[in-house]
Amino acid sequence: MRVLIQLRPSPDVVAAVAAPDLAATTADVTDDLPGVVLDHSFAPVALPRARPAAPGGDPLSLHQPLVFSMAPEEASVLVRGEISDDEGSARMALLPGRVRDVIAVYADPLIETSLTCGGSPPVGTWQDVERLLRVPELRAGGYDGSGVALAVCDTGVNAAHVTEHLGRDVTVDAERSFVPAGVSGKPGEFAVDHGTMCAFDTLIAAPRASLVDVPILLSRRQGGTVMDGLLSDAVAAFAHLRTVLDAQPAASRALVVSNSWGSFSPLWDLPPGVAGNYSDSAAHPFNIIVGSLEQAGADILFAAGNCGTECKDRRCAFPGRPIVGANSHPQVLSIGGVDTNGERVGYSSQGPGRLSDRKPDVCSYTHFAGSKAFGDDVPDSGTSAACPVAAGLVAAIRTRWPASRLTPSQLRTLMHRTAEDRSTVGFDYDYGYGIADTAALLAALRRREERLRA
Amino acid sequence: MGGMVLITVELPPAEATLEEAMRRLGLGEDEVDTAYGLVLLAPEQGLYALRVTEDAGRRVAPPGGGPFSDPPIEPYGPPR
Repeated sequence: MRVLIQLRPSPDVVAAVAAPDLAATTADVTDDLPGVVLDHSFAPVALPRARPAAPGGDPLSLHQPLVFSMAPEEASVLVRGEISDDEGSARMALLPGRVRDVIAVYADPLIETSLTCGGSPPVGTWQDVERLLRVPELRAGGYDGSGVALAVCDTGVNAAHVTEHLGRDVTVDAERSFVPAGVSGKPGEFAVDHGTMCAFDTLIAAPRASLVDVPILLSRRQGGTVMDGLLSDAVAAFAHLRTVLDAQPAASRALVVSNSWGSFSPLWDLPPGVAGNYSDSAAHPFNIIVGSLEQAGADILFAAGNCGTECKDRRCAFPGRPIVGANSHPQVLSIGGVDTNGERVGYSSQGPGRLSDRKPDVCSYTHFAGSKAFGDDVPDSGTSAACPVAAGLVAAIRTRWPASRLTPSQLRTLMHRTAEDRSTVGFDYDYGYGIADTAALLAALRRREERLRA
Repeated sequence: MGGMVLITVELPPAEATLEEAMRRLGLGEDEVDTAYGLVLLAPEQGLYALRVTEDAGRRVAPPGGGPFSDPPIEPYGPPR
């Protein structure tokens, strides 16, 4: 997390910082602060001391006349730095008491006038995403999704819509698809909705992947108008996907599972800490089957969710730590969202996760003009879009690197290591390890291939 | 069928049928979502899931086997 550190160095240093004709630097103010990566590009700022104008005034109240002193003996200095998210609150509390000159440490939140939120217009197009994912480079290297099963667990896919808007043929593998009991319709022929958007977005990076249509979000509940499913439908779907995986030859196993769904409210669940809870319990049957499917060789991706602090979805009801249940499972890639400018969208959920602290894992692109599943002017948005975009990248990689050559765990580690870091301290709770970076990933795979050959 | 929950049970592969699971757990047909069936969670453990009524879940779930919540799930988008 980014922080501002208020220090009171010697008066001559304060005077140098305050002098308009001298260009004092952070290094002039402080050499080193434990656990803080100082931002040396930030010119230190002198801060006047405020005190009540009238004798006996409340020193902490702003509701009174104040006088400000820039006298070197009284003023202080602000520098900027970054603290690891893992220990942010502890460092902020301890630094003032333990390090000489430090008066206080404050959060330095991102301020933007154009943060991308739910109602914002599209930022770029799917062709921009294609460029950012370096799809021509992927294709030239033989990474196009051929032979890879790409399961879209959602509201069902409309293949005709995807074909029309993507401008190329789409393969839906009806035989390996799974329609839950009570849901009518055929794989690839469901109404255009959220699942069609997800399918479109997977195919940006993996145009030749075979889509496995898994419409678990088509409600099996009677009388409701909300499009949702039950977690038990997801349990059954993942059991089916295990049979799909087991039927593949061991040497060429390649199954990528994209999940742009989750649970918005703790009200439908048992409370955390109570046996039988889903959001916080690795022992829940769905969290068990997620681990089992991954262990067998599937790459499982979940959207981090749309409960980011800056502009969260109004359905978000968890009081904190909104990346819950399998969306925070240690054996999945939890995907946050950035726009095509590489800036985190304000609704992308922040970590830590509930089953595993270090969530989201990485970010991918969202909020672009793409499938038009919700109308001509409506972007493919939410971490709902970021997740299948990333799943497409994983499917593309699997074209040449089946699970027998690179386990899902190894691929996740590689994606962590090669992500474009958006902070200066590695992992953070906004971007995870950073934005998934195709070029760095391909370079790492080339090095790995050379090592394996040697 | 009112509120439903999930429970888990370990079964040897040769006896992994819904009927056998119901017999072992002492469950009646009116207490089980038979359309849901018996779902394999972890082949390496021989661990299966069933969907049963809340009352039945509380009564028959083996130690560590539930009952577990079965919450609704929703698409994460578009953001509202």
